[in-house]
Amino acid sequence: MRRYRLDLTLRHAEGALARVLGTAERRGFRPLAVEGETRPDGDRWHLQMTVEGDRPADNLHEQLAKLYDCLDVQVQPCS
Amino acid sequence: MNGARWLVQALEAEGVDTLFGYPGGTIMPFYDALHGAALKHVLVRHEQGAAFAANGYARASGRVGVCVATSGPGASNLVTGIADAMLDSVPMVVITGQVPTTLMGTDAFQELDVFGMTLPMVKHSFIARRVEDLPMIVGEAFRLARSGRPGPVLIDLPKDVQLADASMLPPHVSSGIDDPEPPKDASLHEALALISQAQRPVIYGGGGIALGSAVQDFRTFVDATQIPTVLTLKGLGALPTRHPLNLGMLGMHGSRAANLAVQECDVLIVVGARFDDRATGKLAGFAPGARIVHMDLDACEIGKLRAADAGVRGDIRTTLTKLTLPCAAHLHGRNGAARRAWRSQCQQRAQQHAARYDAPGDTVYAPALLKRLSELAPDAVVACDVGQHQMWVAQHWRLDDPRKHLTSGGLGAMGFGIPAAMGVQMANIDAGQPDARVVCVSGDGSILMNIQELATLRRYGLPVKIVLLDNQALGMVRQWQELFFDKRYSEIDLSDNPDFVAIAQAFGIEALHIERADQVDGALQALLDAKGPALLHVAIDTAANVWPLVPPNRSNSEMLDDGVAAAAPAIAAPTPLPEATSVQEA
Repeated sequence: MRRYRLDLTLRHAEGALARVLGTAERRGFRPLAVEGETRPDGDRWHLQMTVEGDRPADNLHEQLAKLYDCLDVQVQPCS
Repeated sequence: MNGARWLVQALEAEGVDTLFGYPGGTIMPFYDALHGAALKHVLVRHEQGAAFAANGYARASGRVGVCVATSGPGASNLVTGIADAMLDSVPMVVITGQVPTTLMGTDAFQELDVFGMTLPMVKHSFIARRVEDLPMIVGEAFRLARSGRPGPVLIDLPKDVQLADASMLPPHVSSGIDDPEPPKDASLHEALALISQAQRPVIYGGGGIALGSAVQDFRTFVDATQIPTVLTLKGLGALPTRHPLNLGMLGMHGSRAANLAVQECDVLIVVGARFDDRATGKLAGFAPGARIVHMDLDACEIGKLRAADAGVRGDIRTTLTKLTLPCAAHLHGRNGAARRAWRSQCQQRAQQHAARYDAPGDTVYAPALLKRLSELAPDAVVACDVGQHQMWVAQHWRLDDPRKHLTSGGLGAMGFGIPAAMGVQMANIDAGQPDARVVCVSGDGSILMNIQELATLRRYGLPVKIVLLDNQALGMVRQWQELFFDKRYSEIDLSDNPDFVAIAQAFGIEALHIERADQVDGALQALLDAKGPALLHVAIDTAANVWPLVPPNRSNSEMLDDGVAAAAPAIAAPTPLPEATSVQEA
């Protein structure tokens, strides 16, 4: 299993968090840590996640980037 | 004006002519607003019928299909049709009533979190908690459903929002559709470099061709490059069945010529397809000597299951258009002789293994019947249910347009056929062609899953012609139990089927029955000549199987045919990586 850190900017929309977590899990990545907050105007979520999985991280990146509520996503291998 | 009335006008502004649905408590304001509106509403007899009908409408027409249901059971009954649309990339907008916002989260009567339930199976979804959000939500729902890779979008609409004052909202203006992203030149160069060096290339075309309105561009590419072509279940029709370069469908029930060509090719050009497991068989053994050129609008598909040596993300039409001339220019290049020999080998194999229709005996041979029907009704749209008959249609129906073949490919949902055919017929009416021919091919298992929609066909006089192939069993499951579970037949017996002719007649639908091969031609003609909806019940061999078959977890080179394993082909080594060639140069 390889670990990755995800940095996401999401719309502060109903279901946005569930979509991100659900997508990561369904696509074969187990969330290990989640931290996030809305700031400063409340219309965006800034979310950091650590996940682990065997599948290509590029594919997870594309799957998350495709979500309507996902405005930005960065995926980095954990050192 | 309330929110519901505003929504009805917005649907009209989005170009919706017909919607499929079933009323109930929390969606009543919307149905009240429908009263007297220009929109046509088709009252189905089960919400799953509404979802599949909207799905069929969208598949055949390319327009967004719309279905409506109330909260709770109405919404949950839509779920299978939504999932089907997601897996097959069908543009739909699904509207569900919801309990008033003040009651949401209190386990109110007929409250169900359909938004949460459907999160994994929608392209996107909204809960309209405020009437002032409706313009954004409706506009985005239709734009998202249509744009890029299409899919279903759900709008959950609480009853109080439907009733709220919407007089301050502006009239709705459609957001239209986003222009598809063009491919990057660098990726085209990589693709061209690989294709131009190929000695044994094969094109593997899928449902993305029709979704991208690229059928003509695809045919031009195939004709210009003269590359042998295989198609997925959803790609069928992208190249006419009888096109000399069409080797047929690949995969579990694919043709021998198609599967062996893929297994032996050195470059596989994947156009709008996604390496579905039913197409690839055991993935590790799929096209083992091939370098992969993968063209797809959806970046998620490139490299998802098989790494691409050249991935071209972007609009399929533009991709094919830009590659056609440069690739064709290499036709007579240094690999010209090898390519001609390869093409000839593929075509000879297709001829050697062409399906035969001279089955002995008096019983009806289903593949021959389906081939004959497709010849008698060459313009027909065929909607299938799921099972053996679905595969026989895929193998034997003569097709010249992918939008004329509706099949539940990704989800494999029994019960799809009749309501989907109903949706096609409504799309034909909206297109000013009410008499355009629609055929539904079903099985004795599938048809009972949505038999109630015969009432809808009758009510609206939709002249769908149903061919029911009855083998008194869940045939595909029986086939697998025969082959892979030591003939331990478990819960597949349907020999106590009801009298399907009597059922159809009870719904007011003309019906006839045949059981001998010499009755086929007359019965098919009678079916096609019937003025309204009609059903032909066909008793077929109860032991008939679908061949060829790739056993589960086996490579596509290990096909069984009538239970006999085919010889595995010799696999050629991959060609060396080519030098890059410029798209503009060629």
